Amino acid sequence: MNRLRLLLLMLGFGLAGIQGGVLAADDKPQFGAANRDKDCTRCHDANDAKPVLAIYQTKHGVRGDARTPGCQTCHGDSASHIKDAPKNKPDVVFSKGTFEVSDDKTRSGQCLTCHTGKSRNNWDGSQHQNNQLACNDCHKAHAPADKVMVKKTQTEVCFTCHKEQRAQLKKVSTHPTEVGKVVCSDCHNTHGSPGPAMVKKNTIVETCYTCHAEKRGPFLFEHQPVTENCANCHSPHGSNIAPMLITRSPFICQSCHDGPHTTDSPVGRNAGGFQSGLTQNATGSNPSSHATGRGCLGCHSVIHGSNSPSGGYFQR
Amino acid sequence: MPGKLEIVMTTPNSKMKVTVLALAVEAALIGLCAMPVNAADAQEASLKAPASFINFGGAYVSQDSAKFGEYSGMNKSGGYGIADFAVRGGDSYGDGDGTKRWSFTGSDLGLSSRGLDAAISDQGKWSVWLAYDELTHYTSDSYQTPYLGSMGGNSWTLPAGFAPLTNTRAMTTAQLGAFRNVDVDNTRKNGLLGGGFILNKEWDVKIDYNQLEQSGAKLMGFGSAQWPVAPGPAVAGQNISILPMAQNYKTTTVNASLNWKGESGNATFGYYGSYFRDNNNGVTFQTFNGSGGGAPSTQTMGTPPSNDFHQLNVTGGYSFSGKTKLAGGLSYGRNTQNMTYGYDSGVGVDLGPMVTASPTSSLNGSVITTHADLKLTDQTTKQLTLSAGVKYDKRDNQTASNIYNSRSIDGGNIYNYPNTPNSNSKLQAEIAGDYRLDSKQKIRLAYNYQEVKRWCNNFATGGGTPAYAAGTNCVVATGNKENSLGATYRLKASSDVNFEAAYVYSDRKSSFDENARTAMIGTDGNPPGGTVTGLNASNYRGFHSFFEASRTQNLLKAKVGWQANEKWSVDLGGRYGKDNFDTLYGVQNAQTWSLNLDTTYAFRENGTMSAYVTQLNSGRNSTDQQRTSASAAAPSTTAVAVPAGATWSNALKDEDTTIGFNLKQAGLMGGKLELVGDATYSLGKTGYNTTLNYSTTTSNGLTCSSSALLTCGAPPDIVNRMIQFKLTGTYDVDKTSKVRVGYIYQYLNAADYYYNGLQVGNTPAAVLPTNQINPSYAVNVVAVSYIYSFK
Repeated sequence: MNRLRLLLLMLGFGLAGIQGGVLAADDKPQFGAANRDKDCTRCHDANDAKPVLAIYQTKHGVRGDARTPGCQTCHGDSASHIKDAPKNKPDVVFSKGTFEVSDDKTRSGQCLTCHTGKSRNNWDGSQHQNNQLACNDCHKAHAPADKVMVKKTQTEVCFTCHKEQRAQLKKVSTHPTEVGKVVCSDCHNTHGSPGPAMVKKNTIVETCYTCHAEKRGPFLFEHQPVTENCANCHSPHGSNIAPMLITRSPFICQSCHDGPHTTDSPVGRNAGGFQSGLTQNATGSNPSSHATGRGCLGCHSVIHGSNSPSGGYFQR
Repeated sequence: MPGKLEIVMTTPNSKMKVTVLALAVEAALIGLCAMPVNAADAQEASLKAPASFINFGGAYVSQDSAKFGEYSGMNKSGGYGIADFAVRGGDSYGDGDGTKRWSFTGSDLGLSSRGLDAAISDQGKWSVWLAYDELTHYTSDSYQTPYLGSMGGNSWTLPAGFAPLTNTRAMTTAQLGAFRNVDVDNTRKNGLLGGGFILNKEWDVKIDYNQLEQSGAKLMGFGSAQWPVAPGPAVAGQNISILPMAQNYKTTTVNASLNWKGESGNATFGYYGSYFRDNNNGVTFQTFNGSGGGAPSTQTMGTPPSNDFHQLNVTGGYSFSGKTKLAGGLSYGRNTQNMTYGYDSGVGVDLGPMVTASPTSSLNGSVITTHADLKLTDQTTKQLTLSAGVKYDKRDNQTASNIYNSRSIDGGNIYNYPNTPNSNSKLQAEIAGDYRLDSKQKIRLAYNYQEVKRWCNNFATGGGTPAYAAGTNCVVATGNKENSLGATYRLKASSDVNFEAAYVYSDRKSSFDENARTAMIGTDGNPPGGTVTGLNASNYRGFHSFFEASRTQNLLKAKVGWQANEKWSVDLGGRYGKDNFDTLYGVQNAQTWSLNLDTTYAFRENGTMSAYVTQLNSGRNSTDQQRTSASAAAPSTTAVAVPAGATWSNALKDEDTTIGFNLKQAGLMGGKLELVGDATYSLGKTGYNTTLNYSTTTSNGLTCSSSALLTCGAPPDIVNRMIQFKLTGTYDVDKTSKVRVGYIYQYLNAADYYYNGLQVGNTPAAVLPTNQINPSYAVNVVAVSYIYSFK
């Protein structure tokens, strides 16, 4: 019944939207600046070194939408540039070329005139703004397919600055980023977020649960670090230890436990078993299941939490 | 041309005298003059019109490898289809007044990583989108097991006569013959339906409905549990079968938002719902070790419980002026779970691990998550930018706590302890300022404060001997307070050189209750001679987990970018971090550093090459007290005599080197051929080294480095060496057709001691081998496809 109510609510929203859309037809914001584009396109035509006219393939080039900006909506009136282009720069210069680029706040300011709120609510004071990035450092408004908006090409843009993550994603255990299935914007809101490291949700665990809802619980027996931060154990950009672990069991477990049975026992070369030179000891207990293979996780396998009354040790 | 037409029109009297030849010449002239304009018009129209394409062909993969095809789907040798397309249309393109557009795209349709997207919109009014996405994660193609069952199924049985097996290193020929290969993978199928509707200038609505279905399995340890069976224990505990753990999940997600935008403010009212359903309630398996001649026992491994999460969100912002803004948000979420326990629920002889009946048949779990944030930024002057913000997150676990009386899988440890519904909160505050020293220099100072609290709303009391007394704390690290101060300096040394350096110092002070009992057994946390279990999370007193221990942190970063000339640029950056933990035992310190060099060179108009090298290094050192058991105090043939208070240390070292080279050259063969080449070398190395901070031997003279112990020293480094080479050539056959030829060579040399203990004859005596091997490969891929583009 709850699901049915939800679907009805969604349907209601949808109908309201359609109805609203019809009503909104006569209520368009009056930008209309696209009509002045010819001031610019008489020079910046099809032969321009940059294919500026491709903007008409994008949402910014839909002339029938009265909200559509024109060249001068973003680049400024640029009257002196129109009068004497070689000498005078446009009011706002977005990319390096003949003229010096306008500062980041000026460039972003042009975009934020329209693109306010929603996912950009936390842009001001965000890490990217503090690092003097402007919208067009990542977005290419004139490109028919903006690389950063296409999952398969997005990382090319992010790796321009995030070199460590580029290297980490070449490690042996990663998310499916290289095939474009889980990319930066699936976890991060690059426009700023109240969450740590600009994750999309309020916390890291909430962000991870969007895909890994089976780890959410609440479980009968909870594992404290799991409820607080997945990154306590996992390195989400890649690791030498599968599955994206910060290190290998039993060493990772020994970072927090030295009490239960053998977690206070040192593990050395014996972790490599017979192939590392270990020989059978007198009691035949070599190699130890605590040290080799899955280590602690051989028995404590439901380490994200257990919902079994006999799962207090995360063994069930 | 208008001019030409005008001439013709102004000589009407001559019209009658026009000969065929003259007409032909005139037509040719008109044509000549008109052609460039028509071409320009066509070029302009082409730039404005939506591009569509179909790409189809085939690829051949030379070798089977689950690791190479881990996500791409090319996990087996042989042929694969290449199929991608994008079709776009609508009256919104070009110079017309239309606002409708649609698109239909497909990618990797011949592979298990395929995806389809469709969208239709009337810009400014509404849009609807639909997507389907698939991904198979191939995790192993070398796994072997004697168990019978289907990969992804919820029941595993042993072949008749396989059990009992008391020593997995001594299997009979018949037992060895029962092993078979099982490829292990899991698949995600994701469907999305969404819509956005603009109600008017100020209001719009957006709704996404997403359904994710997961099937298949992941390998997991299944430890057999021992419980009393008359006349004696028929099942040995802690015998480990590594089995494919079924994933039969469905997650439905709804994301709906109502957005408002006014002159100076904006707000979003949202609902986020996520409903997880596990179609299994446990996976049954037969144990392989029925000691004493007993029959194998069928036991149940728990699976993740179905659960729901509902969240209401409000975010918004207000601009006092164009330069002073306030932004904030509130969230309220409720996470519930009440799935009937799926487990071996019997009590008593022959029935299961529970000593007394479970106090509840399901958890009725409820966690309330709340969030609030508020941030004020002021950029009134170009010289100074100020920001101040505060955030608060709380996980309030309201689940009841009860005492559970069960056995560990070794059968010997009977515990009486409460479930621990963990709650925590985090308060953060930040104040920061950016000051422009002059037109070339900027400095930023930031101060952060963070306060974490941990507690349990409910923590059951009682539970036999020892009992959990009223007021017992359920967490050792009850909270911490952290202060951070950071400074960043930026210099634009010239129009071609940028420099940046940053330093952050953090100091975290944690508070502990080492008398807390965190539902663990063991007496290590007790004072000498104590017998109360579970104190200090059963750790030695003075042992604190790295993520909650007191620590100081120093972080230094620097980078420089140099645009040497129009063609050549260089970027150099690095980072160094050092953590020092204030704890007697546990992780003592951790360090990390990285260095990156990137360079790009445009060697000709249509050609660029770029190269990079990145070095990532990290490490941590930990120490701990070694247990002084009775046997250790009096050395035996297998245990060294450990002096009281003796410690050991372990060092972890991670070294990763990545080198990349990329080449792009267009305009070859008369402008028809474009080549893209990419080469990457990646070396990941992880090593551990353990030293005993005391010197002693067993009764027969063995030391820690003796081959029968090897409890000190270093296991072999985990080394993953990957080489990847890609070359793609795209040839323009004509304006609408291209042929693309691609070649990939990828090589992985993986050396990981993890697999040693899984091989037949080399396992621990109670671990059933899987014979999984290092996933090394050397794969060649050749691909050819034809691309047809159309407008």
